[in-house]
This record gives sequence, C-alpha cells and structure tokens, in this order.
Amino acid sequence: MVSALPPAVTPGNPGGVRGWVGHIVRTASSILEGLAVTLSWAFRRPYTIQYPDKVEVPVPETLPEAYRGILEVDLRLCTGCLQCEKTCPIQCISISIEKGEDAVRRLTRFDIDISRCMYCGLCSESCAFDALAHSNQFEAARQDISELTLHFVREPVPVARHKAGEAPPRRPRGEILREVLPGLGPVMSPPARDRRAGQGDPSSGEGKP
Amino acid sequence: MLRLIAQRLQSWLNLPGETGAVLPALAVMLGAALLAFVFIAFFAGPVTWWERRVAGRVMSRIGPNRVGPQGVLQWLADGLKSFLKEDIVPAAADRPLFLFAPYLFFGGYMATFVVLPFGAHLVATDLSVGLLYLIAISGLVVVGILMAGWGSNNKWALFGGIRSAAQLVSYEIPSAFSLLAVVLATGTLSMQGIVRAQGGWPWEWLLFRNPLLFGMFFVSFAASLAENNRTPFDLPEGESELVAGYHVEYSGMRFLWFMFAEWGNLWVIASLATVGFLGGWQIPGVRPEVIDQSTGWAFAGWQALSFLVFAGKASMLVLFAIQIRWTLPRLRVDQMMIVCWKYLVPLALLGSAGVLVLVALVPEGSPVDWFLRAVSLGLGLWLIIAYVRKARAAYLADREPYRRLEGKDPWYPPYRLP
Amino acid sequence: MTGTVPTLAFWGLALLTIAGAAGVALSGHMVRSAFSLFAALFGMAGIYALLQADLMAVVQLLVYVGGISVLVLFAVMLTSGIGRVGTDNPSHRPIGGLLVLLAVLIPALGLAFRMPLGIESPADPTVAPIGDALLGRFVLPFEVVSVLLLAALVGAVNLARGWRRDPEERPSEEGR
Repeated sequence: MVSALPPAVTPGNPGGVRGWVGHIVRTASSILEGLAVTLSWAFRRPYTIQYPDKVEVPVPETLPEAYRGILEVDLRLCTGCLQCEKTCPIQCISISIEKGEDAVRRLTRFDIDISRCMYCGLCSESCAFDALAHSNQFEAARQDISELTLHFVREPVPVARHKAGEAPPRRPRGEILREVLPGLGPVMSPPARDRRAGQGDPSSGEGKP
Repeated sequence: MLRLIAQRLQSWLNLPGETGAVLPALAVMLGAALLAFVFIAFFAGPVTWWERRVAGRVMSRIGPNRVGPQGVLQWLADGLKSFLKEDIVPAAADRPLFLFAPYLFFGGYMATFVVLPFGAHLVATDLSVGLLYLIAISGLVVVGILMAGWGSNNKWALFGGIRSAAQLVSYEIPSAFSLLAVVLATGTLSMQGIVRAQGGWPWEWLLFRNPLLFGMFFVSFAASLAENNRTPFDLPEGESELVAGYHVEYSGMRFLWFMFAEWGNLWVIASLATVGFLGGWQIPGVRPEVIDQSTGWAFAGWQALSFLVFAGKASMLVLFAIQIRWTLPRLRVDQMMIVCWKYLVPLALLGSAGVLVLVALVPEGSPVDWFLRAVSLGLGLWLIIAYVRKARAAYLADREPYRRLEGKDPWYPPYRLP
Repeated sequence: MTGTVPTLAFWGLALLTIAGAAGVALSGHMVRSAFSLFAALFGMAGIYALLQADLMAVVQLLVYVGGISVLVLFAVMLTSGIGRVGTDNPSHRPIGGLLVLLAVLIPALGLAFRMPLGIESPADPTVAPIGDALLGRFVLPFEVVSVLLLAALVGAVNLARGWRRDPEERPSEEGR
C-alpha cells in the first residue's frame, strides 16, 4: 500500500514545505481552471439533436446515397427475373408470377419481410434494372411484427418488358415505401426542404469526407 | 419557537395543564417533522432535475427536458416510478438491518434540520451547542450507510459502507477544525449566534473577515463535501468500481430514501457554509434588532425576506457544489486520504490557530481589522475576476474552430455546433 | 424533568437504551451487537439532552455515537469471519452472573435513590461554564489528559510504522 502512494516530490516540485504549498496552489488553480471550462459551456448551445421530434431536417434526408435502408421495389421496372429472390441469403423476399389466359406474366405477389432482412444489399446488386433498391428510410418500428412484411403488389401487374437504359426514371427514394409502409417518420416540410436546398443538398455528396 | 407554538396551541384548544400538553407537543413535533420532510422533498426533487440539467450543459447535452416545461417535473416522474417499483430484499440479506438502514440514514439527515436557521426566527430550536450538534449528527448518518452496507450482504455494498466510514472519520477532523475557526471568531456555538455575529454586507461576513477565514471557507466546504460523499469524494458509491456502493441492493422506495438524503445533504452543506461564512439570513442594511422588534405583518415580512436571502446564498452554493461535481474527477482512495491528512488537516489546524491569534490581537473595528477585511474582500474579487476571465478565455478558445465550421454542412448529423 | 412530555420522552429513551444494551448482550451476531451499542449510546445522548446537559448530550453524540460506535462497527466489519465468532462466554454460570449483577446493581440503585431527582427549571447553557472550568480551575488535569492522549497518539503512529520496518523493503518515498 505504501509503494502505491505517489511520491511527495514530483518533477518540477521542490518538495518540503515549499513543495507542499506548491501542491496546494497547483490544486487550487487547476480546480479554478476546470470550473472555468465547465462554466464556459453553460453559455454554449448544446450539441444534442433531439431526435426524432425536434430535428431541423428529417434524418433520412441527410443520409448518404449509398445508405442501405429498407428495401423498396418499383414494379414498373421489375421484369420478374427472380434474381433477387434467389440471391437473398435468408429468403426474406418471396415473389409469385402467374401467367394469365392472355399469355402475359403478371406479378401477383412481391413480399419482403423487412423484419428478417439484414440489409446486405445482395438483392439490389443483382437487380439488373434497379427495380429493387434500398430506400433511405429506417424508422420502421411497429407494434406487430406482421406489419413488417411489405406487400408491394396490391393487384396483379404485368411484368415490365424493356431493355436496360430505356427504363422510366426511378421515383424519389422512399416514396414507394411510404405507400406500402404507412406511418414512416416525419415528412420533410416544404420550408425546411427549401432551406436545405439553399445550403446545397446533403445527399448530393457535397461535404462528404 | 416550537415550544412557543405548542403553548399557543394548548391555550387555544383550552387543554388542561400537564397532561394536556402532550397532544399539542406531539402535534407540533409531527408538524415540524412533516414540514421538514416536505421541504426536503421539494428541495431534493427539483435539485435532482437541476443537477442533471447542469450536468447536461457541462457535457454539451440538454438534460431531461420532456416532463413538464423544460423537464421541471422530471423528479415527480422519477419519484413515482421508484415508488411503484418492487421493494426487493435480497434473500441472504440481514433483514432487519437492511430494512432499517434507509430510515436511519434519512432520519439522521433530517435531524440536522433542527438547528438550521432558515431565517431570522425560522429555526426549529436554537441550541446553544447548535454547531457541535450539526457536526455530531452528520457523523451519525454514516451508521446508516454502514448498516446498509452490511445488511445488503454484498461485497460492493460493504466496501461502500466501509469506505464511507473511513472517509467520514477522517474528514470530520478538518471539517470540525475549520468550523472551530468560525466559533473562535464569533465566540458562540449557537447557529443563530454565529449568524448574528456577522452582518448583511459582504465585508461583514466571516468569509471576508480576514484572509485566513477566507481560506478556511474552502477547507470547510471541501471537508463537508467529503463528509456527505459528494463528488469528487463519492468513493462510497463509485460506480466504476463498486456499482453503486452501499445502496447497490436497494430498490423502489428504500432506494429513494437514500437519494432523498443524498440530495437533501446538499442543502445541509450549503446551509452550513452560509451560516458559518456567508452571513446566514442577514439582510444587507438591516440590523437584526429591527427584525426582533417588529410585530405582526412586518415581522412576517422580515422572516420571509431573511429566508429569501438565506435561500439565495444557499442556492448559489448548491449550484457551486453541483458544478464541482461535474468538473472534477473522483479521487482514488489513497488520494482521498492524502488530501485529508496531508493537506486539509494541517491547513485547518494552521488556519484555526491563525484565526485565534488574529481574533485575540485585532479588535473589531480597528484599522488593522478593516485592512484585513479589505485584503480578503480583494482576494475574493480577484478570484471571481480570474474565474470569469478564465471562463471567457475557455469560451473564446473553442469558438474560432466552431465558427470556421459554421455554414458548412456536414452530410451527417450534427447540424448543431456548440 | 417535570411535565408529561419529558416523562414520556424519558420512558421512550430509557426503553431504547435498555433495549440497545440488551441487544448488545443477547444478540448472537457481533455486527448486530455493535448496532445495538449504537442504539444504546444514542438513547443515552437523548437522556442527557432531557437533563438539560446540552454539551454532554452533543459530546455523547459526537464522541460515542459518531466516533466510537462507528469505529467499533468498522473494526467488526473488517474482521474476517465475524459471523462465526462465538459470543457466548463459556465461563458464565447463573450464580456468577447473578453475583456480578447484584454487585453492580445495588450500588448503582443506592446511588440513584440518594440523588435528588429532576431539575426544577431549564438550566443555563453549560458550554461556557464547562469551558471556563476546563481552562481555569481544571487546567492541569485537562493538560495531563491531553499529554496522555498525545502519548497514545504517538505510540499508535510508532506501532503502525513498526510494521513497515522491514529490511527487504525499499526506503519509502512518502513522508516528509
């Protein structure tokens, strides 16, 4: 126990009575210094962002382009190749296609169980037409787990028949998801969007490290 | 004061003589205890919220701000939550000791309220040995901690209890000696006597009586922080090593008693320092005789004003103690002992001896006395100016880098810069 | 000590003291005995306060309740295996115990009954007279006791240091 005690004489301290007084003076001045630092923070704005209700811009809007949020499918683009269903390592995508009497293949089911999805991104990589992609949404907490199985097909839709490059433009990220998963986080209010746009779109990549 | 109320009550209720005195006396005792309890609840509760807000700002957070406006009702929510929790008694605990310890702890702390003078005549009883009583009672609280520590049958709790006892036994010495300096300067042990020996203006306070007493204030404050297990001396509950120390096994209401006493103790620390060094309830420019001779509403008004003065001073010290808590890191056990025995004890001894010499040699009102007062007042002013300047420097040092980041939009939160 | 309220308070405190004392003697566990001692000493302090001996009461609180009993608890808790320490005195026999009891009780009771009981009026604060007496008439005994305590203190420090006087140990850096 004795050896654990720090020596009375530290570098720069003469020891003896002068050292003793020196220790006291140093302690007092360092306490004063510390108090001054903590006092100075009382005059600054806290760093905290009060997620989720008092954010200036909804957090999804600030996420980078490559962010892998909840999956969404643009059925106008989907050719029904089933690549995504095959690639998915945990089989959380299930697709059914039926051929009707008019010989048109129709998607009757395109379900993604996002409670099981691990956001690996293999399905969206394998999708040749960018029909299946990650949105920027992530706030999908629900009371019942069955609500987390997303049914993208409301009524049977014919599969898309197009060549790559001719596809219609994608809809904004998260828009489709909002239709199939009600109650997603706050929608950006127009003024906030404008203010944001004035400063440069965060998702455009400016300011990325 | 209490006796007076009891006698009034007895004559008002028209109760006969000796046996009739029991009921009013009991009623007054219960009433006083209830009043003290309500005061503690309404002090300790909001102070927990305030402490967390201050802690938040120190750490550049916001702190609790959801329950009520700015979160002021957070303490009610916490209290209600604790109240509804299950009261768990560990199977291997020493049951009677475990169950009784919180009440002893809290009761010991509540007993200090007997002598605290809240205002000119707002004191339960002005004991002639008030200060000594306060020191003695604060030593009693530790028995509650030891009881909790042993009764929990948990090694962390026992460590906490024993650390607390060791700490209290050690720090009682500098605390008592620094208060001895107060007694030497005022010539009385009664709390009201100590207050009355001072005046309302800062240069009439004991703090600025002479430079030695100015130093003793800090020794006394540090020692009473340590006695009441406040950070930086909160080793008995150091969460990094002892989980929560002596109250690790407590839950629900019993835990709440500990919390009550812990935050209520802040008030005791602050009151003791206010009474001893900051002139207590003395209103600047008003002699205490004026208050004594007033009657009726004027009397009540003076009481309220003196209470406000007292509460204001004590609240500033509470804020100071809270800021210290969130500024300084916790000491190690050996450092804690070194601070006590190598620094505070000699300082307190030298200081009280020096005060004795000064009191004996320098008569009050002499030029030397005024010189000493001026010197210590200057010391205090210099300290405050240095403090503010340092705080400003610390603020400005960080402001430039932050300002350079302003306007630039980081792609990922934070949007807010301090 | 007149009036119903002080009498009631006296009986309460006396009960606390006696229960505490009984707890010290009869409890099967050292730690509980120590806590009972605390209760007994606390009750004594209350009785002092009731007798208008304000300084005595507070000093009892300060020295015995806050100091000695905490120290006893401290020592008891630091002793390993304190729960297994036997608290029975093997040499006790009913007759021996009774003899000791009588030997203590009879003089004590005799003394108690010969003393005038009760104080008529609230006494003056006793701090100043005691202080005057200690530094005036009884200054020599006071100083002798101080010297004795100082000697004990120095002796304790010497004993404590003696443990470290070990030739193997390197010279200690602390001190001075």
